[in-house]
Amino acid sequence: MKDYVETVIRPKIQGDGGEVRFSALQDGELTLIFQGECSKCLILDRCVRWIEAEIGRDLGERVHIHAVRKKPFFWDN
Amino acid sequence: MAHIKVTRRSMRPEEWTQLRFGWLKRHIYQKKYEIKSLQIRDARQVAEMEYEYYSEDYRPLQRGDMYFTPDGTAFIRGDVAIPEELIGQELWFSLKTAAEIIVKVNGKYVGGVDPNRERILLTPYLAPDAKELHFEMQGYNRSKPDDERNPESLSVRGCRQIFEGAYLVTVNHVVQDLVYDLELLLNIAESDLFNEDYRAFLTRELDHALNLIDFEDESLPGLREAKQYIDTVIYANDDYKGSGDVALIAHSHLDIAYYWRRIHSVQKNLRTILIQLRLMDRYPEFKYTHTQAYTYETLEKYYPEVFEELKEKIKAGQFEPVGAMYVEPDCNIPAAESLIRQCLYGQQYFREKFGITVHNCWLPDVFGNSWVLPQILKKSGVDYFVSNKMSTWNDTNRFPHNNFIWRGIDGSEVYACVPPTHFITWNMPTQIQENWNAYQDKNTGGQTLSMFGYGDGGSGCTEEMIELMRRFDKLSIMPKTEHTSAQDFLEKNLKGNTALQKWDGELYLEMHRGTFTTKAELKRGNRRLEYKLREAEIISTLRALAGEAYPHETLTACWKKLLLNQFHDILPGSHITPVYRDAMADYAEIDQMLDDVIGTGEQYFNSLNFTRTALTFFDDPMGDSTRYGKKGFWCRPNLPALASGSVYPSSEVCDAWCFVNAFDVETPFYRITFSKDGSILSLYDKELLREWTDGAFNELKIYEDKPGVYDAWDILPNYKERTITPEVKVPLHFTEKNAEVAVFACTLQFGNSVWERLIRVFRQSRGIEVENVVDWHEKHRLAKAEFSCNVLTREAVCDLGAGFIKRETHRNTDWQKARFEVCHHKWCDLSETDGGVALLNDGKYGVGFLENTMSLSLLRSTIRPDPTSDMGTHRFCYMILPHAGDAVSAEVNKTALQYNIPLVKADVSCENTFDGLFLQAMKLSEDGRMVVVRLSEQDGRRGVLHLPKEVKLLNMLEDIEGESAEIPYTPFAILTLGIPIEQK
Repeated sequence: MKDYVETVIRPKIQGDGGEVRFSALQDGELTLIFQGECSKCLILDRCVRWIEAEIGRDLGERVHIHAVRKKPFFWDN
Repeated sequence: MAHIKVTRRSMRPEEWTQLRFGWLKRHIYQKKYEIKSLQIRDARQVAEMEYEYYSEDYRPLQRGDMYFTPDGTAFIRGDVAIPEELIGQELWFSLKTAAEIIVKVNGKYVGGVDPNRERILLTPYLAPDAKELHFEMQGYNRSKPDDERNPESLSVRGCRQIFEGAYLVTVNHVVQDLVYDLELLLNIAESDLFNEDYRAFLTRELDHALNLIDFEDESLPGLREAKQYIDTVIYANDDYKGSGDVALIAHSHLDIAYYWRRIHSVQKNLRTILIQLRLMDRYPEFKYTHTQAYTYETLEKYYPEVFEELKEKIKAGQFEPVGAMYVEPDCNIPAAESLIRQCLYGQQYFREKFGITVHNCWLPDVFGNSWVLPQILKKSGVDYFVSNKMSTWNDTNRFPHNNFIWRGIDGSEVYACVPPTHFITWNMPTQIQENWNAYQDKNTGGQTLSMFGYGDGGSGCTEEMIELMRRFDKLSIMPKTEHTSAQDFLEKNLKGNTALQKWDGELYLEMHRGTFTTKAELKRGNRRLEYKLREAEIISTLRALAGEAYPHETLTACWKKLLLNQFHDILPGSHITPVYRDAMADYAEIDQMLDDVIGTGEQYFNSLNFTRTALTFFDDPMGDSTRYGKKGFWCRPNLPALASGSVYPSSEVCDAWCFVNAFDVETPFYRITFSKDGSILSLYDKELLREWTDGAFNELKIYEDKPGVYDAWDILPNYKERTITPEVKVPLHFTEKNAEVAVFACTLQFGNSVWERLIRVFRQSRGIEVENVVDWHEKHRLAKAEFSCNVLTREAVCDLGAGFIKRETHRNTDWQKARFEVCHHKWCDLSETDGGVALLNDGKYGVGFLENTMSLSLLRSTIRPDPTSDMGTHRFCYMILPHAGDAVSAEVNKTALQYNIPLVKADVSCENTFDGLFLQAMKLSEDGRMVVVRLSEQDGRRGVLHLPKEVKLLNMLEDIEGESAEIPYTPFAILTLGIPIEQK
């Protein structure tokens, strides 16, 4: 899962100025850290659902993503 | 009694007008037919015109569906029969979207939709009897950060979008006209830039006009009366006089790469051009300017049918190529020869394809401009220079001119325009008034320039901007406006204008000072490849003169790829992760191509046109030294100018030249006392009998570097307020010594990073080299090497690549304070008249000066736009070079050239050595008939070049301008000579 997130999903997210890093997978809950533009995206939840669907399609696994936003200090208000 | 602030709760007249304006906009479409037959196929672009698809086939796309994916491109298609009720009517396509979508109908590119425009006129592009419409659309999801310029698009930003439906519509032009009137008038009414009484008049009379419309009736009776009221009461009123004279120039700035890769800009550019062409079809008075020969090249390559239309509009004078360069490059870091090639290849394209030479340089967004530029422009057929940033982005001083003359390092002058406002505006009266108010040359400069049009795939001008422009003359309160071409504006206002003020110096941008350092590997790669291209061209030319084929296409391809990556959001480092990967892949490709061109030989070739004697490192697996992780040997080559020769390691037995006693080291030149962290506590010069240190010298400093939202771009003046002291993990220790070099090493640690310093002292060189091997994993840190020199001077001398600039090191004025971090090239220097310290680098550009201290910027660690920026391993060197005399008499520049140009093997030579000037380039001319020799005077001297035969005197576009064998030159002049091949 980590490899999939880092090598398949991450380049796509980076292509939009975002950043995603694998944090943990436990009991079907996948924790991902979102940085860059993702950290302040108003509609990140749509992207998160899409990542869940991609994982389902490519890996055959059902996960629920816990999205953690890591905002840089200059957007932290 | 306490004051109670009363907030009015009822609707104010202005709000009532706004409300009705909103109602009116709902009636723009007269008839609306939803297209329900669309299908979509999601993809991701992986190369120019190449895509990876998420599915084998298309899926239905209905209103409410999600579409687009992160970094996504979508292909949308559909067939629809034109409904009976719409046949014979002016037909439009409407799609409200956050993406950038190119639309083709029945095989014809009809236009584009994006957050700034939602409809496309179809009728003129359909066969008169068309009953069926076949749609083909390609969309790139617009998820970029700068949409704040257009607040309406802010709310629709994001990777996953909801499809809001696509429609065939007809437009109620009476409503639409009235909407444009209200857009215009409300913009004035709501702005305190305009006369208060006039605004009250507008508020009152707009209310009266809208009162004539019955909004409770769906057919909106009273529309024409309202329009007539506005014409006869508001537009006819000329009691309120504005002032000003503003030239309106349509333009769309296009970052070739930024929050998108260069592969995406192919479609961004197509859409931009296509949309402007379609506006020209509808508005014959509309003129538009477009830069960057590269963007025209991609259009020609991939969309030839649109390119043919473009050529027609250029002929008709509506579409104006501006900016003589290949791309809009960074103008701080590239070498002079790179800037020349930007002009050469840019102008060559415009001449070949359109039969024009572009006489202006159009760089609205670049981060300051080198002092070498005016000469390069002037000698490339360019008389005018336009760049916006200094007026709108300076953080300390207001740049004092807008229309002026810019004098370059060699005394060349170009007319310059730094427009008072941003290069992206949407042509609103407030923006035009703001421009006039900020214009500083009202009495001397003629008109002020206001650019309008969305940028970066926002695709330039809109119907609304042109419609508003058609109304400006009706408003006496507005400045006088003229929609004009760029060249007409420049010639009308600047050419021959003797009242213009003059700026003699670099155009330093008081912002974005971090871009000299961010993404260190790009800077180093660019420097290395610039010199490698020089080497490859010289060797190829000399081989061609000996009868071998000249690899013209390969060299041009390498140049163009390098020039592309000098774009002002690539080389400066202000871009997302994939842009960096693309650039590094391009660099690797150029490197390989140049290796193939250079090939090899029996002997080393000195491409410098002076004898090469500086101690140099030669790769050799059998060598007894190591540099950049490779085995080799140090040697003083003694190779004549432009000649080949053999190089062997010294066979002298010289054991007793370096004495080490703990941190004290003695060499033939110095007595040095090191500190355990590699800094130098004392550097006593045995030859010049003086101490060079005066405090921290070669000390590695780590600063907290938190500039804020423009993270990759900026370094703030307060960066010195917080320092992080590295821990000495392995103290400085002696590691190796041979006949030429002794090496000392230490390892420092801080945060998550490890920094190894290898310090080399030499038997036969005054230089002290520091190699840095860094495993860099920081956030918001700036690493600098600092040198407090025992030198009394008020000026630092900085290499600009083709000459040098002197910069004050004190902070007497705000102008000097603002220049706390500047761009230099291969070296900088602090000197007294009889001695000083130079600092040579092999790929660093940022440097700061304060009194007797130089601080060379080494690495940054920014997180926006690229959270991974600069992470990982870095290797780089710099050299400390104390010397007698000043930088010129000490020939620091020659030493720096030798430091940056590795010797390669090639069995070629050249008789002419062009003594006194630096051989900046040698190549075959673009037509293959001459050897082109470019020489630059780099020391600030004048003289005469004596040649054995007459040669052609060329401009930088390789046009012949004269002939002579005796060529006088002046300080910092760049000469271009053409030697006909038969003359050799």
